[in-house]
Amino acid sequence: MMKTRVLTALTALVLCAAQAFAQQKTVTGKVTSDVGAPVQGAQVVIKGTRLGTLTSMEGNYSIRAEVGQVLQFRFIGNAMEERTVGAEDVINVQFRRVATSLDAVVVSALGQTNVKRALGTSQQQVTGADIAQTNRQNFINALQGRVAGVEVTSTSGVPGASTVITIRGISSISSSNQPLMIIDGLPLDNKTMITAQLAADAPNSPTAFNNRGLDFTNRAADINPEDIESLVVLKGPEASALYGIDAANGAIVITTKRGKPGTGGFEYSNFFRMDTPGGQPEIQRVYSAVNASGAPILGSSTYLYYGVPYAAGTKFYDNVDGFFRTALTQKHSLAFSGAAPDNRINYRISVSNDKQEGVVPNTAYNRINLTGASQAVVNSWLKADLSMSYAYATNDQALKGAGGPLLGLMAWPQNDNAADWQTPAGTRRRYTTLSDASENDNPYFSVAKNKINSKTNRILTNIGLTIAPYSWGNLKTNIGVDNYTNSNLILRHPESTWGFTNGGILDINTDLTRSISAQTLLNVNSRQVWQGLSLSGVVGNAVSDYKSNTDAQQGLGFLDPNFVSVNNTNSRTARTTISQRRLVSVFGSVTADYNKYLYVTVTGRNDWTSTIPEERNSFFYPSVNGSFIFTDAFPSLTKYITSGKLRAGYAQVGKDARPYAYKPALEYKLTSYGGYGYSFWGPNLKLKPEFANSYEVGTELTFLDDRLGLDVTWYRKETEDQIVENIRGSYATGFILFNLNGAKTRNEGTEITVRGTPWLKNDLSWDVVANFDHSFGRVIALPNELPESYNSDTWLYGNVRNGVVPGSSTRSLTGFFYQRNKNGDLLIDPTTGLPLRNSVFVDRGYDRQPDFTLGLSNTVRYKKFSLSFLLDFRKGGDILNATDHYLTVRGLSMRTLDRNEPRVIKGVLRDGLENSTTPTANNIVVIPAINTNYYLAMSEELFIQKDINWVRLKDVTLRYQMPGKWLKARDASVYITGTDLWLKTNYTGLDPVVNGNTAALGGSGAAGIDYGNFPMPKGLAFGLKVGY
Amino acid sequence: MATILNSAGRHEPTDPVTKKTSMRKLLTATLVGSLLLTPGCKDFLDVNTNPNAPQAASANLYLPPMLHWWVSSPQWDGRFVGRYTQMYILVGTSPSTWDRMGYDPGSDNGGQQWRDVYWTFGQNLVNMMEQAEAEERWDVLGLGYLLKGWGWMVLTDLHGEIIVKEAIDQNKFYFNYDTQEYAYTEVLRLLDKAIENLKRTDGAVNAAYLGRTDKIYNGNRTKWLKVAYGLKAIALNHFSNKSTYKPAQVIANVDSSMVSNADDALLQYPATVNDDRNFYGPTRGNMPSYRQTYFVVDLMNGRWFGAVDPRMSRMLSPAPDSQYRGLDPALGTNGALSTAQRPNNIWGYAASPAAGSPTRYIFDDKSRFPAITYAQLQFVKAEAAYRSGDKATALTAYRNGISAHIDFVNARNLDATSNASQIPAAEKNTFLADTRVVPATAAALTLTQIMSQKYIAQWGWGFNEAWMDLRRYSYTAIDPASGLQVFPGFTPPSATLYADNAGKLVHRIRPRYNSEYVWNLASLKTIGGDAADYHTKPLWITQP
Repeated sequence: MMKTRVLTALTALVLCAAQAFAQQKTVTGKVTSDVGAPVQGAQVVIKGTRLGTLTSMEGNYSIRAEVGQVLQFRFIGNAMEERTVGAEDVINVQFRRVATSLDAVVVSALGQTNVKRALGTSQQQVTGADIAQTNRQNFINALQGRVAGVEVTSTSGVPGASTVITIRGISSISSSNQPLMIIDGLPLDNKTMITAQLAADAPNSPTAFNNRGLDFTNRAADINPEDIESLVVLKGPEASALYGIDAANGAIVITTKRGKPGTGGFEYSNFFRMDTPGGQPEIQRVYSAVNASGAPILGSSTYLYYGVPYAAGTKFYDNVDGFFRTALTQKHSLAFSGAAPDNRINYRISVSNDKQEGVVPNTAYNRINLTGASQAVVNSWLKADLSMSYAYATNDQALKGAGGPLLGLMAWPQNDNAADWQTPAGTRRRYTTLSDASENDNPYFSVAKNKINSKTNRILTNIGLTIAPYSWGNLKTNIGVDNYTNSNLILRHPESTWGFTNGGILDINTDLTRSISAQTLLNVNSRQVWQGLSLSGVVGNAVSDYKSNTDAQQGLGFLDPNFVSVNNTNSRTARTTISQRRLVSVFGSVTADYNKYLYVTVTGRNDWTSTIPEERNSFFYPSVNGSFIFTDAFPSLTKYITSGKLRAGYAQVGKDARPYAYKPALEYKLTSYGGYGYSFWGPNLKLKPEFANSYEVGTELTFLDDRLGLDVTWYRKETEDQIVENIRGSYATGFILFNLNGAKTRNEGTEITVRGTPWLKNDLSWDVVANFDHSFGRVIALPNELPESYNSDTWLYGNVRNGVVPGSSTRSLTGFFYQRNKNGDLLIDPTTGLPLRNSVFVDRGYDRQPDFTLGLSNTVRYKKFSLSFLLDFRKGGDILNATDHYLTVRGLSMRTLDRNEPRVIKGVLRDGLENSTTPTANNIVVIPAINTNYYLAMSEELFIQKDINWVRLKDVTLRYQMPGKWLKARDASVYITGTDLWLKTNYTGLDPVVNGNTAALGGSGAAGIDYGNFPMPKGLAFGLKVGY
Repeated sequence: MATILNSAGRHEPTDPVTKKTSMRKLLTATLVGSLLLTPGCKDFLDVNTNPNAPQAASANLYLPPMLHWWVSSPQWDGRFVGRYTQMYILVGTSPSTWDRMGYDPGSDNGGQQWRDVYWTFGQNLVNMMEQAEAEERWDVLGLGYLLKGWGWMVLTDLHGEIIVKEAIDQNKFYFNYDTQEYAYTEVLRLLDKAIENLKRTDGAVNAAYLGRTDKIYNGNRTKWLKVAYGLKAIALNHFSNKSTYKPAQVIANVDSSMVSNADDALLQYPATVNDDRNFYGPTRGNMPSYRQTYFVVDLMNGRWFGAVDPRMSRMLSPAPDSQYRGLDPALGTNGALSTAQRPNNIWGYAASPAAGSPTRYIFDDKSRFPAITYAQLQFVKAEAAYRSGDKATALTAYRNGISAHIDFVNARNLDATSNASQIPAAEKNTFLADTRVVPATAAALTLTQIMSQKYIAQWGWGFNEAWMDLRRYSYTAIDPASGLQVFPGFTPPSATLYADNAGKLVHRIRPRYNSEYVWNLASLKTIGGDAADYHTKPLWITQP
């Protein structure tokens, strides 16, 4: 009985199998790299189907296929290999590494995978390995120079500093220009906390920071770089159109690692890094701050060094140098991953601990990441993917800008030891007779007693289901939550400059942010509809609900000066800030493919947003792009070109406003007896979404058997009806600020990527990738024909700010610049002989936008050694060196050493003849040492350094692949990595990569304003990586 | 083994197919359903009502900020008007822009009342009045008219031409200026409406409702009515140089107004946080460099009026050597005074005092600060009566004014811990009995006396009105009766006048820079506001 049953079943099974899969056999093999190392995670696909598998950690694969079918082997960065299944059961493949290949598999919009040839838009990929190799805590800092058109500006070199990333320049005057971040298909919040959420920055508050004195981490930094499998930059709206309104500035699509088939195992890696300060400005040691009668010369916050020369033999202290420390950083990562033998279930669990010290004492950034991801094939039509990650980050920063360590150290008298910062009673030691609230804090005191701490707990979950009910397509849905709690504590010690007047100021706040997102896609597989013409498509919808709730408290008046708690303060205020935005979208795309060499994709998306008045909150926008592989259409061309593709795209993309932008709200007033009154912002019930129209054309060419690749893109993007936040108007409106449509900006640029393998022989190979970018953003119009728009938070030093005026660059600077006649000569005050300044903000064509940037990454492999390094070049763009102005005004700058030399400032006298044909040349002799206004009244204009260029060695890594037997490991390597080791620039300050503010600011922010900015330190790391 | 790749896929070949069709259909249906359903949800998107603050409030809740600024806004601008009127001067070695009757280019200094009338009042006042009218709260509505009338009056007094007709409109972005004549017509109309409404007791007039947020009079409608009459008297008195001047109307309005110091409009600062502390108090620390002028000292030290004013040592500050002196803008501030001879700051100290130290007069964190006082109105009445020839009425009002202000000084020095002593009744009576101060006969009264005493009573707070007084008398006009200047000893800084003045004295403040010079310049140019010497252009109201 039993036997019969078994037999029947077996027969049925065999028959069944035979019927469906006649002549199937199992093919196995090993896939190796061009140098013979096993390749893990390569795709092995049966051509013309979507059946396939991945190679294991040892590079092995196993697949069932019919004789005569063709196996395709794909791995990013390598040419696709094809083998026809024949009689043999084992097919081994060695990859040929190439610069580029049209058949490379890439991730495109909506997390779909695609072959490059089908893409009609510009995108570029960076592998997770390249990012992780830089050892940077914030993965965004690893992207500078690696993608054409991407610009990365870190606020400072302090651990946990925020970083701005922009793609294709600045197009929005006031709102964010940063791209949308997508992780495994769902949005990743990359907010940088703004100080407006602190009780300290309540309206009219005298204790406000305005984002100048503080910095908070941009939240994308919570992601562990080791968890990133690949990162794709979708550059323009053409590529990101399907992501909708948040991707108007492009999108960064991150795919995290999953377990790969094989026996399973673990990987451990670590590194130990030493960071040293990047440098310090030189200050003069000739003139003291004491006048001839021995009295100190005081400015508003420090001495002014306009006194008599220091006495011979004066002992000088190197206050700046002695302050900084060599910082030690270490990171340990451990990952377990594997898959069931049939790869129906895979898993990856990783844990990593990153402990970073800053070169500024008491600064640190620590992060723990725990991630788990698993995929399971439940049955023939259902596949599930679950990932969860937890991050805990804690960050201690120092005050920056006016209160930061650098300025305080330089202003401190050099004949006094700043390290001696305490009185015998343990309180702040003072050196001037200025009041406690005026004299600059001694940085030693500041870092010991003031405190900026931030703690973040974050959980990201993502649940994905793929259902393939029918052969023609599948349905994929993802639901995820991005939830974090960010708690901050900012202490201005009662004895400090900043806290003295209020008896100490303690701000605490907790920001609870959660985004719930869901996305469903219905994919229709490619179907031939006519000879050679196939159609495929996708329709989908997305829903997102973002809510942030910040509870902030401030305590003033400390009882015990050193006990840090709001409970220790005698005056307390509280403040709640809630922000919510909901978005519903439907979208679809159809791709027509003619003979695999002509592709046309049309997309459309409709969004409904909560932030625009209901009658206009629904808006549709289309895109179209095409790709033409002319070398396939005209194979004769392959004599000259290995492969060639032309592409063109057009897209429109809408963008909404920030929440609550169009209806005015009352605010509780802190003036006598409370009550309500309107805030600064007036109503704008006519608010409508802004639209960007974007075009790009490009070509991708490869030569010499794919050893040389060229990718060129030209684009133009025009934003119409741009919403400008915080536009000012006559107070006669009844309000001070408005959020208005009406600005227009135009961005144009060219991006060129060249990939090549100049040398590939025997044991030695050399790969180069060059990313060139030239972009220019111009303001065409402002709302209501207003003369200027600026972000007041960038008005952080003197009278210069990021003002834009119609016709100017989107990154111009306006200021109280010098008065000039029509010939451009300086106007000189006939009574003083000093130049006259404007008393209004004027545009003088200063532009922080570079002429071009070039990232050059090189990889040289010799046997088991590999050396990779990235050079970052920039040409042009202006930087305001406010630090130098600060030092000059105080008589500390080296440029003030010639103060006794009489001089005549070149210019013409403002005597009424200045605009005539015979202006009076200035002939008034000024001796700065006598007329110190020569320095004191200098316009910041003189400190805007024009056309700053640089070359920097961003990252360099030397790795040695150890023979497996050494550590009995499957894979083992040791490496040395240097970060920001070398910089050559014509900038006279410390480092031209600066941001006077934080990544939280919209528009062009305060990038390019260097005020006491602390540059990226030089780091040298040693690390080990082993896999078992 | 082979498996499904990526997201898309068909049946995997080696998979024994199990047809759970119902489950599969259900899941598919659910997902397709969710795909189709979601966009329709109107309610889902209705989350754009700002949860951080309301968008409308009960009428009386708009009041506290407006009342705060009604009193405080003139203080802010008083830092500058106070220097034009030589109440204050900045200590230093060279006179500052405002001490030289200039201004700060590109700055909003001197634009606080502009801000508060257009923004703090602005749409809030419109909302409050609309709501009050709908709810028949005539007392709240009347107070709204009062504030509105006061706002246009101080603005036109400071700036001349201002935006009235087109003001408070969020659909416009360029605003035409109205003449001062029109502004005054509107001021008088609004104050009449204030009087009309404040007289009403019908409808929902409710002292408890108003008193919940009116901490000046605690909802007392009749006191606000007196303020309305008082403001109207002041407005009418500004016409003194015009043929249309009607002193009888001024007197009648004063007589309907305040009857004693108990009617004074005073705001007590709670001093709990920065914003509700006296702007002139030591904790806010805005005034450490401000010093009294020799001009005000000379009005009180007996130089012009023989007797030493008992208020001098209770209002002004001595120098470290205990003598009362002032700085002179015409001499380049410190002049010849040594450090020990320079007057202390307004709190009575050479340097900023420690928190909680006693101060003086109305300069404490918690002082009760005036907006309009009985004493001030008595001097308005005295001037009007004097000019109408009724010198007896003038003398009575003049004496009332001095007497009331002496009581006022005493009261203010009791509001907080003061380092100034009280003026004993005997000292007060001696002063009032001194005929050099209060003439024995009405015929001996002079304008010099009236205006000087009014200046003293307004010193330190009544900046707007004091500047109108000075400008109405061209700063240095001579009173034939006294043979002295109406403001004896007032010396404009003629030698050091600000360069843009082209030798002329200041007559108006340029409109707020960040409102008008940046965002409404085209309109401003039509009234010549872009001229370098615009601030010296005389006002319509002060001209015949």
